[in-house]
Amino acid sequence: MSGTPSTVRTNSRLIRWIDTRLPLFSFAQDSVLDYPEPRNLSYWWNFGSLAGIMLLIMIGTGVFLAMQYTPNTDLAFDSVERLMRDVNYGWLLRYIHMNGASFFFIIVYIHIFRGVYFGSYKEPRELLWMLGVVILLLMMATAFFGYVLPWGQMSYWGATVITNLFTAIPVVGNPIHTWLLGGFSLGNPTLNRFFSLHYLLPFIIVGVVGLHLIALRQHGSNNPLGIAVKGPQDEIPFHPYYTLKDMFGLGVFLIIFAIFIFEMPNVLGDPANYIQANPLQTPSEIVPEWYLLPFYAILRSIPDKLIGVLAMFGAIFVLFLLPWLDTSRVRSSYFRPIYKWVFWLLVIDVFALGTVGAHRPEGAYIVIGRIATFYYFFHFIILLPLIGWFERPLPLPESISAAVTKKSVAVPAATERRAVS
Amino acid sequence: MKRLVTIAAVSGAVLMAAASGAWAQEEPPDAPHQNWSFAGVFGTFDRGALQRGFQVYNEVCSNCHSMKLLHYRDLGPDGPGGGIGFSVAEVAAIAAQKQVEDGPNDQGEMFRRPGKAQDAFVSPFPNEQAARAANGGAAPPDLSVMVKSRGKGLEYLWGEGGPDYVFGILNGFENPPAGVKVTEGKYYNTYFAGHQISMPPPLADNTVKFQDNTKAALPQEAHDVVTFLTWAAEPYMEERKETGAKTILFLLAMTGVLYGAKRKVWKNLH
Amino acid sequence: MTELAHGKPVAGAALSNGHGEASRRDFLTVASGAIAAIGVACVAWPLIDSMNPSADVLAAGAPVDIDLTHVQPGQQIVVLWRSSPIFIVNRTPDLLKTLQDPKDLALLSDPDSSVMQQPAYAQNWHRSIQPQFLVLVGICTHLGCIPGFMPQANSVAPGWLGGYFCPCHGSRYDLAGRVYSGVPAPYNLPVPPYRFTTKTMIRIGENPPDGGDFGLDSIVQI
Repeated sequence: MSGTPSTVRTNSRLIRWIDTRLPLFSFAQDSVLDYPEPRNLSYWWNFGSLAGIMLLIMIGTGVFLAMQYTPNTDLAFDSVERLMRDVNYGWLLRYIHMNGASFFFIIVYIHIFRGVYFGSYKEPRELLWMLGVVILLLMMATAFFGYVLPWGQMSYWGATVITNLFTAIPVVGNPIHTWLLGGFSLGNPTLNRFFSLHYLLPFIIVGVVGLHLIALRQHGSNNPLGIAVKGPQDEIPFHPYYTLKDMFGLGVFLIIFAIFIFEMPNVLGDPANYIQANPLQTPSEIVPEWYLLPFYAILRSIPDKLIGVLAMFGAIFVLFLLPWLDTSRVRSSYFRPIYKWVFWLLVIDVFALGTVGAHRPEGAYIVIGRIATFYYFFHFIILLPLIGWFERPLPLPESISAAVTKKSVAVPAATERRAVS
Repeated sequence: MKRLVTIAAVSGAVLMAAASGAWAQEEPPDAPHQNWSFAGVFGTFDRGALQRGFQVYNEVCSNCHSMKLLHYRDLGPDGPGGGIGFSVAEVAAIAAQKQVEDGPNDQGEMFRRPGKAQDAFVSPFPNEQAARAANGGAAPPDLSVMVKSRGKGLEYLWGEGGPDYVFGILNGFENPPAGVKVTEGKYYNTYFAGHQISMPPPLADNTVKFQDNTKAALPQEAHDVVTFLTWAAEPYMEERKETGAKTILFLLAMTGVLYGAKRKVWKNLH
Repeated sequence: MTELAHGKPVAGAALSNGHGEASRRDFLTVASGAIAAIGVACVAWPLIDSMNPSADVLAAGAPVDIDLTHVQPGQQIVVLWRSSPIFIVNRTPDLLKTLQDPKDLALLSDPDSSVMQQPAYAQNWHRSIQPQFLVLVGICTHLGCIPGFMPQANSVAPGWLGGYFCPCHGSRYDLAGRVYSGVPAPYNLPVPPYRFTTKTMIRIGENPPDGGDFGLDSIVQI
């Protein structure tokens, strides 16, 4: 028989038979069990696998919810309430899905900030980073479509405001807006197509996540020190070290998730969405879900409609450029004495933008919003390149294993130690 | 460098603290926080309060407010969360008191018949326009999820929740303070946004006579009807909290075991 | 930039570190595995159970009251219960006589209704509570079509005494819903649970007070 023999370690003839023909098991063995990871990954590295698991939870609950939901403007709100009252465990599915969206974004935002802090976007991982930003965009679109489905007041009016953004585009804006809605205002055609897209996009996200993982595999994970792996002494197999660490992290996450689902499932949402959509009555405050607030704040900070839209999309586009905006020769902020503090300014700025987005654009919120928007772009476009050029990084350790074993006294007997080249 | 960061952090904190308080506009006071039997991790619905509250809704509120998302069978043992303690026969009797539109019959006409357990709660008006016309232009809203859609919603970690708000409204009808003119057809309410609500005070002392002979003071009536409305908005609340306790305990045990396993395996490395 | 070295350590190598360690490791592995399995089952159950009939669907299957005075002698009406067609026939004494004709009984597949397609109170020669009124679930036990009511003698074939003829694949039943031999359908038409609430009203979906606990899930084939 031609082809390489199966390398799977097993006593089972059945597994070997399958693997010779469709190398599922050896693929799993290489990618999950034996896969070498840097030995010094901290808990900040749990959030990638956590995001993947959240994606599966959202798809799982979503498929079963879709069996009960009716995407018709007269019936949608009632179908969701029927789910909450008459369908066995419907309330649980709905609350998991609703809070799962928020937690998915919390995890992904932490995952992104981890990447920013440790320079995971730098060469050779630029495409890995950009695929991640694509995933973020797809998540935002999916969440936007999903929030419209219950057809509450916030669903209707939030979607009205956001789809009206398209009218800012000169010349073709209005036809595009009408085409998107399938009408002149949000109605049945809109709801139906948003449902279809909401069902479709997560599977596209799965595909892009696949590409994201392939790109990751090419050069392996970054690590808190930001230095490359120099040899096998710097690495440990994914199983059992990181499988167990990821599962433990998952357990901790699930506890927090469960507290929200079971004790306070409506805290992250807006009470106004429990009022059925009324096209003739605008709520006193139109607010998107919290994970979109920073972008909403940027949009509103700029008095011009078109430039506001461009700024909002620009805030995400600037993330695509991050690998080239950051001129530092060193990855990890552990060794960047100036950037290590400036990073936190970005975090504070994003929180400030979120707070501004949650309030009506009046009084002090307008000023804070403009300052925060300015700082956001200033940080990426001006500060990052300048800091990278002028900063003097701390000396990097020789290798990962050198840094790790310097910290500990005992030397593991079973691990081979080679001289660092 | 540390100084720069300290300045930034302090100014950020000052800005956020200032932003959250001082720029609020003329808003009504938050309704005071009440003690609810269903509050907290181990909260349950007081069945007596639920049944009295249903009586208040049935005799008073249902004359103007619909509750379309509920069915009569929900009140009985087959209902979500086990209902509010009525038996199958009592539920059938309650439903039979109302007339429900059904049809078309074999002649093609709609007809009216006594309600059955599987019918939805009968609405006082056939559609929104009729509700508006009968109430001076303001349609009384449906009460099925009222408690979840007002105030800060159902959960109230840091401020007035929906139940507190509705209780506040029911108890908040007062004579307007000096100098405040109330529009014709509206009533002054302390906790309503803008203070002028279209609903006349629905409850007073002894508006209903409770079947279990509890004294029907206004706060008691309001407390019971809000308990009923909370159950109506979230009938599975007790099961949710119970399942939550079990799930979180299970997760704590599982995470503990996993932590032990993780430490055991990683010990070899360092 | 160094590519990942591939003299890679093998997964699980860290797990075998001596006998005492191994048994402690096995316990943790088994404990983790068991807890994970319980967790997966607890998560899977709500998802699967949500597909079971919801409370409103179960409620819509509530019993239906029918006024028998609307059924003329020799006629059939069809009503819906649990989304299934229910046949109610007012059998004249002539039609009833045909049910006990020994020549006809010899042609039936299950003349004594020994297969459980009906409640105990309908396990008789007329397959009903009162001989005059027949109540059947109108779903052919072959592949689910609705059989046509053919009470007229000789209408389906010469010697036809009256009964049901299913247009889909030609199954035939008599006026008690009993299936003839040699047709595709294997069983008699089912009888639903029902009882008389007054002399002229029946309630479909409820058993008589002494009629036991019969339900449509008890029968062999709908």
